[in-house]
Amino acid sequence: MTDLYYILETILLVAAPFVPVAAGVILRRKFPAAAEGAPPPTPGQKAGRLVGNLLLWCGIAGLLFIVIVVLNFKGKI
Amino acid sequence: MAAAGAVSAAAAVPWDEDRPEFKFFQEKGHYDEEAWDKLPAEEQDNALKTVKEAALERQAAVRKDYAAASRKWDAQQARYYADALNNRELKAVYLWVGSAEGHELAHKATVVRSMLDKAAAEGIKDSDAQALAPYLTPEAITQLRSMKFAADLAQKQKAGIKAKGPGSQSTAKLDKFAAGAASKMDAGKLSNLYTGSKASGDAAVELSAGALKAGGKLPGSAAPNATAAKTVKYIPPAALDEANKAKSTALTSDAYGVTLETTEGTKTFRKTADADAAIKKLPPGSVKKITFYGHGSPGMQMVGEGSYDSGSAAELLKGKMAKGGVIQFAGCNTASIGGATLNPAVGISMVARRLLYFSLPYFQDRADGVPAAQAKEQWEKGWNADLAQETSMGVKGAIVCGYRTFGLVPGRLPGVTALLGNQEATTPGYVAGKKACYQDGKEVPVP
Repeated sequence: MTDLYYILETILLVAAPFVPVAAGVILRRKFPAAAEGAPPPTPGQKAGRLVGNLLLWCGIAGLLFIVIVVLNFKGKI
Repeated sequence: MAAAGAVSAAAAVPWDEDRPEFKFFQEKGHYDEEAWDKLPAEEQDNALKTVKEAALERQAAVRKDYAAASRKWDAQQARYYADALNNRELKAVYLWVGSAEGHELAHKATVVRSMLDKAAAEGIKDSDAQALAPYLTPEAITQLRSMKFAADLAQKQKAGIKAKGPGSQSTAKLDKFAAGAASKMDAGKLSNLYTGSKASGDAAVELSAGALKAGGKLPGSAAPNATAAKTVKYIPPAALDEANKAKSTALTSDAYGVTLETTEGTKTFRKTADADAAIKKLPPGSVKKITFYGHGSPGMQMVGEGSYDSGSAAELLKGKMAKGGVIQFAGCNTASIGGATLNPAVGISMVARRLLYFSLPYFQDRADGVPAAQAKEQWEKGWNADLAQETSMGVKGAIVCGYRTFGLVPGRLPGVTALLGNQEATTPGYVAGKKACYQDGKEVPVP
């Protein structure tokens, strides 16, 4: 039971940094950049894409941060 | 009365594993539970009386040995126990002290034994040092970290490989002695090789008070080589201190050190042994700030090959700190994670700390066969250890600071450190991390 609890906890912890990336990708797909000739996006669509971009790039920055932390843990930097 | 005595003497004694006499029977193989129950009551009584004293003595001896073995081991003890803690010894601990204690000691011996082998074969890493922290003294861990280097050196010496200095042209020429045979030179001539002076040094030098006035020259002393430009003032270069010699040209950082700010000025050290010796010589209350810089982990600050835990840091600095003096552990995770936060970077650092210092060693222990309860207890205690707070309780009045997060030092990044030329810096400069400070165990604002 203890092991199961910690396995679940580890899965959640490992997944956490990927959540903003996934959310960002979903939002960017839901609110794609306006194609040529298409009607201009509404303020809501613009906001959705902006949030998607923010989540995606902050998530990627977070993953890079983890890579640096792991390298630090391994004594490489 | 006699009848009552006869009745009590005849009463059978049930097998009781908690009594020392029964533990003694088990250890010596005299009786097991089945054989005991078959024994007549009188013989049981006699047997108990016979072994009572010996059993109590044995119990005291095993408990004393266990108490010694359960403390943190120094390097010598680690080697001794790694050899001496065999099955027989461990069985005695299981029997006389308890199964949890026996299991813990067996695990300790296994970890230390494997790390001793690893240290000699390939050297130990920071994560290994962290795993050893509950079992060995910081000095012992330091020694283990340097074992590989010592072994390699010994092997090279055995193989007849001559130790070389830096392979520059100037040092290569030092192999050939340019002056006359060294054996024919006296000390005066030998020193001339370095000073370039043609004075024999035999003439008496008179030092008068006038000659020693400010700006006055000593007889025979040469003026420094002045530059031709009159507007440029000649300033002789300051002597490099030990920490600034032999700069690295590597792309990655090897920055660590101890910086000591006292009433008499600031000194930096690369080697912890030098820093420790300097601190021990200082008068009480003279340290205004001390910065330990290097890799950190929960409950431990490393400085190159050396390391400090709360006990060793407190012992070193007790009585040495000035009023309001600051002890700064400039290493990752040297304070606990603290409360909840909205800062995503701090959150990611918390997640990384839990994964690296709990999940990873926990599952490693489970794979090694350690019971879940024991692994849980050990790593739940260790992953969020607060070195700064624990040290502050040992050094009364001092402000002790550490980092709640992984501390990112931009100057350590590979390449950047080469550009800045600070591969062997002894102070961190800017650190991106969440700091926490304590005084007498209570959190205080960062000074």
